[in-house]
Parts: sequence; C-alpha cells; structure tokens
Amino acid sequence: MVFSSLLFFFLYLPLFLVLYFVLPKRAKNYVLLAFSLVFYAWGEPVYVFLMLGMTLSDYILGRFMNRFDQNPSKRKMCLILSIVIDLSCLAFFKYAGFLVGTINAIPGVSVSFRKIALPIGISFFTFQTMSYTIDLYRREVSVEKNYAEYLMYVSMFPQLIAGPIVRYQNVKESLHERTVKANDITDGAMRFVYGLLKKVLLANRLGTLWDDAKLLSDPSTAMAWLGAVAFTLQLYLDFSAYSDMAIGLGRMLGFRFNENFNYPLTADSVTDFWRRWHISLSTWFRDYVYIPLGGNRCKVSRQIFNLAVVWFLTGLWHGASWNYVLWGVYYGVLLCLEKFVYGKKLEKAPKFLRHLYLCLIVVVGFTVFAIEDFSKMASYLASMFTVRGGLANRELLFYLQNYGWVLAVSIIVSLPVFPALKRKLENAGSRTRAVLSAGYAVLVAAAFLAAVSYMVADTYNPFLYFRF
Amino acid sequence: MNEKIKTILVAVLAVITLALSAATIIAPKKTYSEQENRYLEDPPVLSAEEILNGSFMKDSESYVSDHFILRDIFMTVRAGYERLTGRNRVNNVYLGEDGYYIEEYNGLQNAARIVSAVTRLTERCESANIRAVLVPTSVSVYADKLPATAKGTDQETDRQALMKSVSERIENLKPSDGGKNFSWVDVAEAFEGAKKEQLFYKLDHHWTTYGAYVAYREIITSFGFAPLERSLFTERTVSTAFKGTFSSKVNDLLAKPDNVTVFESDRLSLTVTYPDRNLTTDTLYAQEYLTKKDKYSYFLNNQNTFVEIHNANAQSDRVLAVVKDSYANCLVPFLAEHFETIYVFDPRFYRGKISDFINENGVTDVLFLYNMYTIDSDAGINKIQ
Repeated sequence: MVFSSLLFFFLYLPLFLVLYFVLPKRAKNYVLLAFSLVFYAWGEPVYVFLMLGMTLSDYILGRFMNRFDQNPSKRKMCLILSIVIDLSCLAFFKYAGFLVGTINAIPGVSVSFRKIALPIGISFFTFQTMSYTIDLYRREVSVEKNYAEYLMYVSMFPQLIAGPIVRYQNVKESLHERTVKANDITDGAMRFVYGLLKKVLLANRLGTLWDDAKLLSDPSTAMAWLGAVAFTLQLYLDFSAYSDMAIGLGRMLGFRFNENFNYPLTADSVTDFWRRWHISLSTWFRDYVYIPLGGNRCKVSRQIFNLAVVWFLTGLWHGASWNYVLWGVYYGVLLCLEKFVYGKKLEKAPKFLRHLYLCLIVVVGFTVFAIEDFSKMASYLASMFTVRGGLANRELLFYLQNYGWVLAVSIIVSLPVFPALKRKLENAGSRTRAVLSAGYAVLVAAAFLAAVSYMVADTYNPFLYFRF
Repeated sequence: MNEKIKTILVAVLAVITLALSAATIIAPKKTYSEQENRYLEDPPVLSAEEILNGSFMKDSESYVSDHFILRDIFMTVRAGYERLTGRNRVNNVYLGEDGYYIEEYNGLQNAARIVSAVTRLTERCESANIRAVLVPTSVSVYADKLPATAKGTDQETDRQALMKSVSERIENLKPSDGGKNFSWVDVAEAFEGAKKEQLFYKLDHHWTTYGAYVAYREIITSFGFAPLERSLFTERTVSTAFKGTFSSKVNDLLAKPDNVTVFESDRLSLTVTYPDRNLTTDTLYAQEYLTKKDKYSYFLNNQNTFVEIHNANAQSDRVLAVVKDSYANCLVPFLAEHFETIYVFDPRFYRGKISDFINENGVTDVLFLYNMYTIDSDAGINKIQ
C-alpha cells in the first residue's frame, strides 16, 4: 500500500486512526502492531513471515545478550550471530540474483538460479533491527523484553517501507509510554498532508516527464538535462515526502522520528549534501561501519579505504545492480577529492559556484542512479554532454510548456523558501499573520482537493524504493 | 501558521476525508462507466489463493479507485488543474484551438502488416475493382489547430509512404489474370479545401458526416459515378450532446459537446440485415444510441461482423464489398445511393475469407477504408484474406 493510494488514505488510515484513538491505552500498541503487519502483508503476503523471523531472532539474541551480561565472549557470539543472520537474509533475498548474474557474465560460467522476488523494505527493516543488537552490545540501550513491542518498533507502518531508518534507542521510551498533545495531532497531520501534496502534485507529475525523457530516441542536450533535473527533483520530493508522511504520522501517534532530509539541494559541497540527504542512512553507515573501521582517526590511506568500503556499501544498499554501486563509488571518489585534494579551495570559491558544482554532481549522479542498463545510461549521458541531438528543439518547448509550472513549484519547495518566509513574518503584526495564515490554509485546502482528484483520476503513482 | 487556523484546517481536511470515505462505502456501485466507456472493477474475491498471490490486494485497489465517490467530478477537477498548470496534452490528446481535442500521432508500428494485408486482398480478388482509402485524421488535417509546442510524427509523410509501398507491391504482382484493377483514392486534398467546416468531431476520433460526405465525392467518382450534390440531402442534427472517446481521455465534463448530423435522403428504399443481431430493418441508423454516450454508434448500429444492405432504388445494380473500420459507418449511407447491394465486413470479427465471399457472390467493386490510427492498431488487418 502506497501512502498516496486511495485505499490507504481513505480507508486504511481513517480506520486505523479511529481505532487507535478510541481504544484504551493498553490496546494502542496492539492496534498499531496489527495494522502494521497487515500493511506489510498487503504488499508481501508471504515475506511478512521473513520479517517476523528476523525480528524474532534479534529479539531472542538480545535477551541472551542480556542474560550473558558478565560473559563478554558469549555476548560477542550473540552479536555476531545476529549480524550474520540479518545480513544473510538480506544477501539472499536481495543480492543472490545479482551475484549469480554477475558471475554468469564471466565468459564460460553459467550458474542456474531461480529468481527471487525482493521483499519490499527489506533494507530498511534489516538496518533497523541490526541497529538494536549492535547498540545493545555497545551497552547504549537496555534490553527489550516484550517481543510484541520489539516487533512493533521494526514493523511500524509509518516508516516501514521507505524510511526513515529509526533506531531503537530513539524510540525506546515512546514504545512503552508516550503522550500525544493537541499540537502533536495538528502538526503531525499537517506534516503528513504536506508530504502527500509533495508526492501527488509534484513528484508524480515530474515522474511522467522523466519517463518520457528517458524514452526519447535522440534528445537534444537541453532536453536531456531537463529530464535529469526532473528525475532529481522527483526523487528528492518523493523520498522526502515519504519521510514527511512517516514523521507526521509518527508524531500523531506520539513518536518523534529524526529528520531525514534537510534541503539537500541547497548543499554547497558533496560532504554537505550527504549531511542533508537521507540522513538516517548516512548516519547509520557512519556509526556502524565507518567509525568502527577507524573513521578518519587514522592515516590517509586507511581513511580512503574506509571511505571506499562505506560508499561501495551505500551504493549497493540502494539496489542490487551495478549502476547503484557506480553511483556510490562516484560519491566516494568525490568525497575523497573534497577531503584530500580541493576541499580547501572549494571553500574559498563564491557560494554561487559551490552550489552550481554540487547541483551538477547531484544531477549527473542521479542519472547514473536512474538507469540500470549501462548502454542506455551511457547513451543518455552522451546526450547530456554532447550536442548530437542538437542543443534544443521543439520537444523541449513542449515539455517546458507542459511542465513549467510543476518544475517551478518543485524548485521552490526544494529550497527553504517557506521557512525563510516564516522567519520574516515572525515580526509582523498578529493581524497580518492571521490573514496570511488563513490564506495559506485556503491554499492548502485547494491543493488537497487537487491532490485527491489526482489520486482518483491518475493511474501514475509509482513506488520508487522497491529496489532498496 | 496560526495555531487556531491550523486546527481548523486540519479539522476541515479530516471531515472532507471522512465524508469521502463514508460516501464511497455507502454509495450504490455502478458496473459501467458511461464517461469512461468501460466496465468498472468487480468487488474483490477473498480467498487464500488470491491473497497469497497478491491479486486480492491489487483488485481491491482498483475497486476502490473505480468506485470512488464523485469519480467523474474529480476527473474534471484534475483536467482543470492540468490545464491551469499549462498542460496542453492529456493522455496523448492535445487540447487544440477552437475546442478541438486531437490525438497525438507517433508513427506506424505495423506498416509491413498493412502492406501485406492490402496486397493479399487484392491478389485474391479475381475480378472486382478495388479502391482503397487511408483517411488522414485530425492530427494531420487540423495540424494548424494543434498547440504551437506540440510534438509528434508527421502523419502525412507516413500515409504517402504507405500508399506508395502498397502500390509498388501490387504492381509487382504477376499479371497472370490480366492485372488488377486497384487504385488509391486520396481524400487529403479534398479535405484541405473543405476543412473550414468541421470534418472531424472535436471530442471524438471519428470524422463527421460532413467529413464522410467530402470523402464520398472522391470515392464515388473513382468508382465511375457522379457524386450527388450536397443540396440533394436534408441535413438534420440528431444530437447536440456527443462527447466521444477523446473527451473520455481528457475527462473534462465541462468541454462543449459535438453535434451529430445526418445527411438524409428520400431516394433510398432499404433492406438492411444484421445477421449478428438477427435483425432486418429499413434504416442505416440505430436510434437507441442517441441516448447513450457513444452516439457515433448511431451509424450502422455500432459494431457488426457483417451487414448486408439492399437499395431497391439504387443507381446501378453493381455490388460493393466494404472492408473497413468504423469510419465507414457514416459513409455507407452515401454509397447506398449508387450500389444495389453492399456487403460490409469488419475483419476483426469476420471468420471466413473475405476474398472467397467476394469471388463467389458477384461482387463487382471493393472499397477498403481505414483511418490512419485504426489501420495500425487494428488486429483485424492481419486476418484479411
């Protein structure tokens, strides 16, 4: 179930919220758990048992780790077992086909293999459940004794299939005890609606532009860039919309999830971009891979090795295909360059140039990310960097005419324009503020109706993260 | 945002959402959508198998979407919003000038199949005169009404190329039986001269009766008859509320509907037989469709495998076979003035060999008529022999 589908928004969600708020406190967690499991089973009626199994194994290993509190070697065994089980499941269900495919690409080798369907969200929930046993081993959290609550933490439907990756330590208290104030409901609901509007009115529209652009036989240079920019904006708006909806829903239920995006397209270096893009993933890799490897407190060659490992894995995390690996390595190389070669010079460059530098890198990066087939990718990149299809043509005019508004609004939303306006208005009179608030409310309501009409009439509502 | 206003806004949105949910659940369900011209999804079946293979979930989603309350109105809102944000193409239909909706043309996918079909039919027909027409559609005839930024392929180039390759193939047929009497009838020039008046519906993919009349003049001349002047017909508007297939694609309830006009003649004395329907009548029109959405089906009673038409007052006793798509349906009344007998074939449904029928039933003339869209997409083309 996609959050922006009619079934979810008009039936599943209202039914859930009504039951959740009507039933007494001790029943709430069970309502949330039951709805989360049905939510997952809706997309994966079979793999829901895989998720149950993985969480059960980590839950039990956590209990053992707690029991062997005074026995470091047994604690370590529990941790290793937990990591091995989690990563084996991930490797088998997500990467086995890819591995076999890669091996078979070697001439003379042929391994037969039945294709396995990828369980939705497996990379998200594997990382969540792993973070628990690792933190437990590091004694950063205490043990969870209630399996239902542990399962609820991993499977919670607001963040189950598209993040953010929530760590056990961030929600531990709230799993057992949480309060919801009136403004949690209104702010949470507004945040959800904001995400919904972003997804339906902007990201989905941009998606049709990108789908057209990548099929053009010989796009002009400007058209190829327009397509790549559209995909970049689509991915940002779609992905951050899911995080908005997750954070908003979580807030309505009394959870505070960490922010996952912080206007990444305003970054002025690759380092800065990755502090702002998919924050829950980059901090996960930082805390559980990069720092344990030694991070940056070692000699330069080892640092480069650490970065290479992290960025190879980051790329691979996004999908079992070489283009994602290439995309990860691309960022690894750029980060090394910034760190060891031209970072200092970059800082001295004018803000405008730094920003342009970053935008070019991001757009080219997402082009690699978007096209799995290497020959098609090469052809698309060639269209961007040569003039073989001409510089611009009538096709470009058509797409600018049809998508100009969506592109313009998308760019405004991708920049911190609203927060800036809000700060400016803080000093305005209360009357002005009330009028502006009312105007804004009318705008949101109108956009909401437009979004509903798109949800009803549009068949285009993709889920972009099925490869993650 | 002001806290009070925020609370009001959230409450309003929640009420709207719950009201739409409740109304969707309670409202009686339709099985057919007139607006979209299709059957709506049946209620999902609940069974272990359907759940495990995911089809229950998929069906539920389409069921909710198909039966969502006020679906038609929301589709109109969406169309309005699209237009507001500069969209000039919705579901491959351009929103052209003067209210013309014009379907995008993206080239021929099945040119080879078309060439062999026409050649095959010509080869198999022993003695009949064969006239073939490829009707250009509004994307070419009314290209000047397309939005300035419209893209797409040039249909006229494709059409000329297609006619040329067929002609070449037919010229190369062995003249064992004295050669074939085949020729194309090109209506494009006549359309160009007549296009000030509406040749195509604005909201449907068909030509208007006037469009068919203009083509009729060219076609009948090539069969050796003098075309009847327009003044010899009584033009009558039978519907002012036709919203055709393009309107369903754009889904804008506010678009101004088309008129359906018929060119009536008092010279016909008809016996029309529809074997599919077990029906014999004296008219080429089916009144009941005027109250339905698809008003073009008024002409020749919608789709039929085979129709047999006799006109006791015809100008000649020649026998015509028409192999065609739906464009011919409003053209046939004009042809009936000249031919005593007309057999109409829809190759999509006709099971036998059309050429055998033609050779065995004294058919003197054959008209092959398709428009540039259907001829490429119609699977019946392959079955013609």
